[in-house]
Amino acid sequence: MQQGGGSETEVTWEDQQNINNFGRLNNRLHELEDEIKFAKETNDNLEDASNELIITDEEVVRFQIGEVFAHVPKDEVEDRIEQMKEVTSQKLEKFEEEKESVLGQMSELKKILYGKFKDSINLEED
Amino acid sequence: MASSSFSSSSSTGSGRVVEERRGIPGAQFVEDVQIYLTQISLDANSALSFIQQRLQQYNVVEMKLLTQQRDLQAKIPDIEKCVDAVATLQAKKSTGEALSANFEVSEGIYSHARIEEIDSVGLWLGDTIMLEYSLEEATDPLQKNLENAKASLEILVADLQFLRDLVTITQVTIARVYNWDVHQRRIRQVGAKPAQD
Repeated sequence: MQQGGGSETEVTWEDQQNINNFGRLNNRLHELEDEIKFAKETNDNLEDASNELIITDEEVVRFQIGEVFAHVPKDEVEDRIEQMKEVTSQKLEKFEEEKESVLGQMSELKKILYGKFKDSINLEED
Repeated sequence: MASSSFSSSSSTGSGRVVEERRGIPGAQFVEDVQIYLTQISLDANSALSFIQQRLQQYNVVEMKLLTQQRDLQAKIPDIEKCVDAVATLQAKKSTGEALSANFEVSEGIYSHARIEEIDSVGLWLGDTIMLEYSLEEATDPLQKNLENAKASLEILVADLQFLRDLVTITQVTIARVYNWDVHQRRIRQVGAKPAQD
């Protein structure tokens, strides 16, 4: 929070709550960005895995379950990977939606807070 | 209304108190700096160092909670993998096939195993204790652990949000006390000048 030049702007409880909410939203934004990055990586890995599957001519594939690699027939592995891709894509979509909403709320709050405090407040990423 | 740990009176005069939560002391929101300083009978500098100390305490608690959160976030996928493994074993059992697998003997070295009679699993309860469960029995403790872990994580996240709010309120208070002090000094300087003419 930037320190102003000794002005006497009043800060009301409502202002404080707006500032608190902005802080919370900002944190959530960073968390979401991390989750989105992780989900995209998972999706890429699953893509690579299914590509490998198409190339391989083995009937039995070593599929990792927990700490072991179980011998699973190729078809079953394909199904499993499709399922995992579905789940990850849905998660990704949900995260992206939430991120949009968070960004929207943050820009609303920025308008209100900059409106009242102008230079006395800094809401940007440093 | 819970009182914050330093003020002797409950919140009147300047500001309201954000109550404590699970052992974390609350932060007092300041409506008017002058009244606040009078209420705690400290001058601006002493108040600033007191509030900054509070901020430090919050930072320590935040570090602790963040570590707990990271641990839980690592634990949950682990439990999900176990649930998955048990489900696979159950599926294999119902088709009557044996399960073939490669497991790690040492780093980079895997051995082949064939699991014929799939009846029970050992669940690691922590430290050096592993308990054997039948396949049907095993899913319950695992699911329960998963739910507990997720519930604890939710509470932890709420704690962290609460803490974040306290830190923000405290930072704003520090800025305002500082600004008020600068403002007061300016007024005093201006007031002192006419006397010099």
